[in-house]
Amino acid sequence: MPLLSLRRGRRFWLETVEAYVYLLPTLVVLGLFTFYPFVNAFRYSAYDIRTRTVPGPVVHTSPAVDAWVPLLARGRIPEELAAVLASQGAVRDELWVRARQADRWTLKDDASGQEYIVIREGDLLKVHRAATRWALDPVGWQNFTRVFADPDFAKALRNTAVYVGVSVPVTLVLALLLATLLHRALWGKAFFRLTSFLPYITPVVAITMVWAWIYDRDYGLLNYFLRMGASWLGLEFNLINWLNSARYVMPALILMNVWRFVGYQALILLAGMQGIDREHYEAARVDGAGAWAVWRRITVPLLTPQIFFLLIISLIGSFKIFEEVLILLQGPGPEKSGLTIVYYVFTKAFDSGHYGLASAASVVLFAIIFALSLFQLTVVQRRVHYER
Amino acid sequence: MRGRRPKLTGYLLRRAVGLVVVYVLLLGVAVTMALPFLWMVTTSLKDTYQALRLPPQWIPRPAHWENYPAAWNAAPFGIYFWNSFFLAVTTTVGDVVTSIPAAYALAKMTFLGRGVLLGLLLGTLMIPGQMLLVPSFVLIKRLGWYNTYWALIIPWTAGVFGIFLLRQFFKTVPDELWDSARIDGCSRLRYMFQIAVPLIRPGIATVALFKFVGSWNAFLWVMIMTDKVELRTIPVGLRYFIQDIGTDYPRLMAAATMAIVPVLILFFFAQKQFVQGIARTGIK
Repeated sequence: MPLLSLRRGRRFWLETVEAYVYLLPTLVVLGLFTFYPFVNAFRYSAYDIRTRTVPGPVVHTSPAVDAWVPLLARGRIPEELAAVLASQGAVRDELWVRARQADRWTLKDDASGQEYIVIREGDLLKVHRAATRWALDPVGWQNFTRVFADPDFAKALRNTAVYVGVSVPVTLVLALLLATLLHRALWGKAFFRLTSFLPYITPVVAITMVWAWIYDRDYGLLNYFLRMGASWLGLEFNLINWLNSARYVMPALILMNVWRFVGYQALILLAGMQGIDREHYEAARVDGAGAWAVWRRITVPLLTPQIFFLLIISLIGSFKIFEEVLILLQGPGPEKSGLTIVYYVFTKAFDSGHYGLASAASVVLFAIIFALSLFQLTVVQRRVHYER
Repeated sequence: MRGRRPKLTGYLLRRAVGLVVVYVLLLGVAVTMALPFLWMVTTSLKDTYQALRLPPQWIPRPAHWENYPAAWNAAPFGIYFWNSFFLAVTTTVGDVVTSIPAAYALAKMTFLGRGVLLGLLLGTLMIPGQMLLVPSFVLIKRLGWYNTYWALIIPWTAGVFGIFLLRQFFKTVPDELWDSARIDGCSRLRYMFQIAVPLIRPGIATVALFKFVGSWNAFLWVMIMTDKVELRTIPVGLRYFIQDIGTDYPRLMAAATMAIVPVLILFFFAQKQFVQGIARTGIK
C-alpha cells in the first residue's frame, strides 16, 4: 500500500497540521474532561475505589518521644500535641485517636473531618496533616453483581423507566399540538413563543422550588385549582399529598417536567413546520384535503426529522433526571418513590463513598441509553423522511 | 344547507371559528406557562399569613418588599451571584474562543482524520454527563483542583454544541472570500478572526447566550467539585438556603425570583438569538 504522503500534496499536510493546531484547545479539554473520564467510568466499575489516608505535609516535629508515646499508645492525646493541633485549626474537644500502630497514630478532628498522622522517626515524632489518596483494588464484576442484587437499584430502574416512558411521549405529543397552534396563529406569535420558552431557560433549582410550593398539600396552587374544578363539577375532592405519598411523586415529577420542556420542543417543531414548502399544502388543498388530513399526511411526516431529533435528546435527557428529585423531595421521596438511576449513582458515590459501585451503576445507565439510541438510529430512523 | 350558502362566507366563518379556538387554546397555554412565575412573584411579596390564605391573593396588599433584603441577608447571596456571574463569563469566553478555530477547521479545511473527528465529537453527545461525575470527581481531586475555580472553569471551556453550531455558520461563508484574502497575503488566522468571525456574529451570539445561561444554571458539577461557601453558585446556594430556611415560602420565593430575574432580563434582550439557536438545533 502506498504511503499516504506520496498521494497527497505538501499543502494537504501543512493544512492538516494547521487544522490540528486550531483544534488543539478543544481536543485537550474534551480529551481530559470527557473522553478520559468516559474510559475511566468503565475502568472504575471493575474496582473497589475509596479514599485512603496517607501522611501529608509535616506541621510539627517534636523530640518528646518519651512523653507522647505512652499516652498515644493508650489512645490519649498529650496536652502539648493537642495545642499543636489546635494551632492548626483543629477543635480540641473533637479530637480523638482513630487508629493506633506501633510507631504511627492517626488522629481525627470530628469537627472538620481533618485527620492528622503522628509518625515516630527515630527519636523524633513528626505530625503530618493527613492527605487522601485514591486506592484502587480490582474486584472484577463484583460491583455489577452487587448493583443488580440491590433492591434499591431495581427500584431506581423501575422509577426511571416509568418517568421516561410517560414523560417523553406525553411531552412530544403536547409539543406537537402546541406547535400546530403556534403555526396557525396570525399575530402575537412572538408573545406566545416567549411564554412557551420561559420554563426551559430558568434555573432548574429555582423553578423546582416554585413547584414544591405549588405542590403543597394545604396551601399549594395545584390542589387549590383541583378543588375548585371539583366543586364546580360538584365532585368530592380529597387534598392530594403530592410530595409525601409514594403514589403521587412520579406524577408530580412528570407534570413539572412536561411543563418545563413542552414549549422548547414546540419551538423546535415550529421551526420545522415553517421550513415545510408551501407547495405541499397548496397541492393538498387543490386535491380537497381537509385540515386534519393535511396535518396527518403532510405536516407530521415532513416533521419526522425534528420529531426524531427530539425523541433522541429527550430520551437521553429524561434518563438523567436527578436535580428535580433532590430539590422537590429533598431526598429519594416516600418509600423511595423518587429514587432514579442518577440519584442512586449520586448517593452511592458522594454519600456512601462507594465510587466503584457508583461507576458500575452509571455504566448500566450508559448501556441503556446507548442501546436505546442505537435502536432509534437503526430502526426508527428508517421511518424518517429527510427529503423536503 | 352548506351548498346553498355562498362558498366564501362559509369558508371565512370556519376560519374565524378555527382562529378563535386556536387563540383560546394558546392563551390557555400561555397562562399555564406563566402562572408558576406569577405565583412565585406574588408569594415573594407576602407575609406568611398572606401566603397561606386561600383563595390566593394575586396582588398582595400590603406588598412585603422587605422579603427581598431579608432573603438576601439570610445567606451570602452576594458571593453566590458573583460566582455565578464570574463562572458564566469565563466559561462562555473560553468556550467561544476554543470553538471558533475548531469549528472553522471542521467547516472549511480538509485534513487527515476530519471524518473520524466529526464522528467522535458527535458521539460525545450520546454520553450522559452524569456518567462522568465519579471519574471527573476523582480526576479533579487528583489534579488538586477540588475547591478551586479551576475545577469549575477549565472543564467547561470547550463544548460540542458550540462547535457544531458555529460550523454550520462557517459553512455559509463563501470560499471565494478566503481565496481572495489569501491572494492578498492574509494569514488564515487573521482571515478567520477579522473576516469570517464578523460574518457569523449571530451564530456566536447564540452560542454565547446558551453557554451563559447553561453555566448560570449549573448545579450538580459545582455541588460535587466544591464544598466551600465561597465557591457556591446561585443554584447550589439555593439548595443550602432551602435546607436552612425550610418552608418559609415568601423568602424562598424571593430567593428564587432573584435567581431567575437575571436570566429573564437576558432573554428579553436576546430573544432573537435564543429562538434562532432553537430553530438551528432542530435542523440537523
